Amino acid sequence: MFQTELAHFLELFQLPFMQRALIGGILTGIMGGILGSFTILRQLSFFSDALGHSALLGISLGYLFGLNPSFVLLPFLVMLALLVSYLLERTRLWTDALLNIISSSAMAIAIITLSFVGQYKGGLDNLLFGDILAIQPMDLVFSGVLLSVSILYIGLTLRTQMLLTVDETLAIARGVPVSTHRMIFIVLLSLVVGISIKGIGVLLVSAFVVIPACAAQQLSRTFTHYVLLSIGLGVLSAVCGMVISAWFNLPSGPSIVATQLAIFLTAMVLPRFHSLTHKPYTPQAQD
Amino acid sequence: MKESVLTVEHLTVYRETYAAVQDVSFSLEAGTDTSIVGPNGGGKTTLVKAILGILPRHSGEISILGQPLTQKGFLPSRLRQQIAYLPQSFLVDRRLPMTVDELVGLGWDRLGLQLPWANARKRSHAVRDALVRVNASHLRNQLIGGLSGGETKRVLLAYCLVYPRRLLILDEAPAGLDIRAESEFYQLLYQLKQEQGWTILQISHDLDMVRQHCDRVLCLNRTLRCQGSPEVALSAASLSALYGSDFVPYKHSHQPQVNDVPNRTRPLP
Repeated sequence: MFQTELAHFLELFQLPFMQRALIGGILTGIMGGILGSFTILRQLSFFSDALGHSALLGISLGYLFGLNPSFVLLPFLVMLALLVSYLLERTRLWTDALLNIISSSAMAIAIITLSFVGQYKGGLDNLLFGDILAIQPMDLVFSGVLLSVSILYIGLTLRTQMLLTVDETLAIARGVPVSTHRMIFIVLLSLVVGISIKGIGVLLVSAFVVIPACAAQQLSRTFTHYVLLSIGLGVLSAVCGMVISAWFNLPSGPSIVATQLAIFLTAMVLPRFHSLTHKPYTPQAQD
Repeated sequence: MKESVLTVEHLTVYRETYAAVQDVSFSLEAGTDTSIVGPNGGGKTTLVKAILGILPRHSGEISILGQPLTQKGFLPSRLRQQIAYLPQSFLVDRRLPMTVDELVGLGWDRLGLQLPWANARKRSHAVRDALVRVNASHLRNQLIGGLSGGETKRVLLAYCLVYPRRLLILDEAPAGLDIRAESEFYQLLYQLKQEQGWTILQISHDLDMVRQHCDRVLCLNRTLRCQGSPEVALSAASLSALYGSDFVPYKHSHQPQVNDVPNRTRPLP
């Protein structure tokens, strides 16, 4: 019985669409991990969530004007991200309030727009929760290029990014062009969200950015370790989620996010065990 | 004549709708320790931030190490590397997974495009030496979020010292340090100035310290009210002009007389 299921399972991963889904999950896991590690520390988690929700509007506009939604989505998200970033700097509103206004308004307008389109291809479920099994070779190429750009940018400016994350004032005093770095980061984040939506959907996409990084934060003591662990956990959750999805015949995107949650909960518990055997640091009085 | 490290000419900086700093001009010679004094809200931090390019200026010129600071705050990175800044408030996120070693190491880098592992050994040696100088070697592997206020100040000072600078700008730097650490801090500043020729510009409210350690004083209350040696700038007349005519400086008594304070509980013998 088990051997039959195992054989079926292994056969499944020999199918091209399954291999593409696995590779797509891994690429998204790496991108989410690398950008997510900075996103959560800069308190931009809700920003990525708002981008994900607002993506529905970009897709619906594509349908409305009879254009390929994928081609509309990426420029739409980049423009929206820059607009939101501008508004966050210029208005006196609280960040979470402004992001809430944008994401809920975008969702509402998107649903109204889709009602004009009528019977659009794909279905709302696919937009909301994604279909990683439908990833095409060209999607993998886009993801690969974006991943390469993200790794090059973060890798070559890692120490600048670290200082920016610690304190923007210190970074400006050292001559770091903070606005330029902020804009590049937000554009990259919006592209990652946009490219990942096809596989994961607008509702779950921010989980790829936020959850592995939060799990890594629980387990890390150095910044470099934290970034690498965030990437590693992003990949681990994608692979395990895909395996669980294939084995139990569950939806792939939600399976990956559920795996991320399991990893996060484990990461929350592990330091508690560690603290039982290691004495934490407390400031010492000097002689 | 000594080289001018910093020149400020007719600088005006606006905070929202009012001029927090107006028409301020001065210059700093190499190897001098200059203090900015003045009342709260007098524009001291604004002046320092404008010099560093953190705040935009409305008018005026700033030149650092012979190079003009552009209106957008640009200065070549090789010159930026020669300047260190220790801010008044540094609120570190306690959840940040970063060690003292990593933070101090960021002070050593030039912060351009570089491979993440480049110069790791040189940086590590510099960090070790800087932490020794501020008596914080034991903190090297601690998370920065777990440090006390005084320890954070020492670590930030190490961040400034980790690379040989020419201009050190301090905004109420010793605040939060205990008496011993404060004394060591000023001793260290004196060494940096005397032995390595660092130029120091610091904001301070401790007029006794300014009299004792600084070569020059800038009295700022939005405009530059006076400048000169501590004897001149901190004279009773100058202080009255700066803080108001009813200002009387309070002198600390280092040998308190218990009987002088009637309500104070007598210490146990």
